[in-house]
Amino acid sequence: MLLKLDNVSSFYGRTPTLKNVSFTLDRGECLCVLGRNGVGKTTLVKTLMGLTDGADGKIQLGGKDIIKLPTHLRAAAGFGYVPQGRQILGAFTVKENIQLGTFAGRGKGSEIPPECLELFPYLKENLDRRGGLLSGGQQQQLAIARALALKPEVLLLDEPTDGIQPNIVSEIGAMLLHLNREKGLTMILTEQHIKVARMIAHAFIMMDNGRIAAQGRIEELTDEVVSRHVAL
Amino acid sequence: MEHMIFSAGFADALLLGLSVASTWLIAALGLTIVYGTIGVINMAHGEFIMLGAYATYVLESKLHVPFLLCLPLSFLIVAVIGLLIERLLIRYLYDRPLDTLLATWGVSIVLIQAVRLIFGSDPLYLSVPNALNQNWQLGFFSISVFRVFILAVTLAVSAAVWLFMQRTRFGMQIRAVTQNRAMAASFGINQKRVYAGAFALGSGLAGLAGCMFGVLNIVLPNMGSGYVVQAFLVVVSGGGSLVGSVISGGAVGELQSIFSYFADDTLALCIIFTLIVIFLRFRPQGLIAPSASRR
Repeated sequence: MLLKLDNVSSFYGRTPTLKNVSFTLDRGECLCVLGRNGVGKTTLVKTLMGLTDGADGKIQLGGKDIIKLPTHLRAAAGFGYVPQGRQILGAFTVKENIQLGTFAGRGKGSEIPPECLELFPYLKENLDRRGGLLSGGQQQQLAIARALALKPEVLLLDEPTDGIQPNIVSEIGAMLLHLNREKGLTMILTEQHIKVARMIAHAFIMMDNGRIAAQGRIEELTDEVVSRHVAL
Repeated sequence: MEHMIFSAGFADALLLGLSVASTWLIAALGLTIVYGTIGVINMAHGEFIMLGAYATYVLESKLHVPFLLCLPLSFLIVAVIGLLIERLLIRYLYDRPLDTLLATWGVSIVLIQAVRLIFGSDPLYLSVPNALNQNWQLGFFSISVFRVFILAVTLAVSAAVWLFMQRTRFGMQIRAVTQNRAMAASFGINQKRVYAGAFALGSGLAGLAGCMFGVLNIVLPNMGSGYVVQAFLVVVSGGGSLVGSVISGGAVGELQSIFSYFADDTLALCIIFTLIVIFLRFRPQGLIAPSASRR
């Protein structure tokens, strides 16, 4: 077991926005976090990165409890983060954005690992372009390349298909599938597209109002479960 | 004939303006990093300049260190003092700009009084090698070698700071934190270390400026109060970026020199302050802001 959350709650100010969340994740698996807008999917990912105001419970990564660690040490512990809205540093070039991923000190120096670029020919050809000038889909590629540069134990993707053109959504889905199945990368992703979730994930968590409403293997994500919690 | 004397005098003013500009810029360089990139309103910046002058005095007269070596040493000494103050005080105040303003003002008073206790209130003088103590005569122009020296040092140090920010790992970390703190942390950048390092760097640059201002003027415990105003004017109107500071420092220096040629120093400063107020009314973010999202 690579990652284990035990009764984790998380706060903005004093208001708990994530309540008593527990789950485990094995190496090489992909977990998909589902639910409507505002039910705590992003908060769950931010809690893993230590970006909320505070959290209690236990978060074990590779057997070590990391809940007290500041954000930058969680990156060093092995979380690669692809945030919602991508959060590319607009004034940095493509190359500098990817180099950012090497600052966690998990790779060798500030060299960009070649495997970050082999998946993204566009980025490879535009290393000196400013990040702010890329399109949404290109920025998403850059955000993933940046997280891969950290050589993560677990890749956290927050709404990777949000705000991306529909024809690119399946492209990103295919790439994530490749990273998980071929490269063996462990992943947690939050997703609104049930189709993408069924394609990539091994297991799912359905969230509602800051709690886990249902969880299980992806085969157990029946249409009935979906319509109950993500009702149209 | 009259026309020729006028234009020669005016050209002289333009040349002197370059020199004045370099003093504005070197005074503001450290603050560009401390205020422009990490957002600390450091009211003690002038006192760091003063400490640089006193450090040079001690090095020269007590330890007989040659002046040229005093430049890097005063940088180091004041950088260490700055780092201490950051560790003991500033780091608790990063999210509270108003408190920082008061606290650093307090620091400036403490520093002035401490220096007064140790060195007394009498003016001290720094000496420079004879080669720097002369005047160059070029036709109509006459300019002191030391002013040319300040200009050269300012250009070299500005270029060095630019390269440091653009090319080194630590410089990139500073720029990343300035753009997006949460993202910088999410990729392993220790924000506290970056802020401490940047504050020390900014303090050291003030010390370096003090080393040269101590030669240009006399060394007094309260010599910093004028420089802090100059420095803030340059940094704020420049927008907080290094390039902005270079441009605004250059413009202000030239304007001051030109206005002084037509009127006098006091009126020149009065006009410049007015112009800056008007400029900021229409462009409050300054010339070139480092990034859209400021802390």
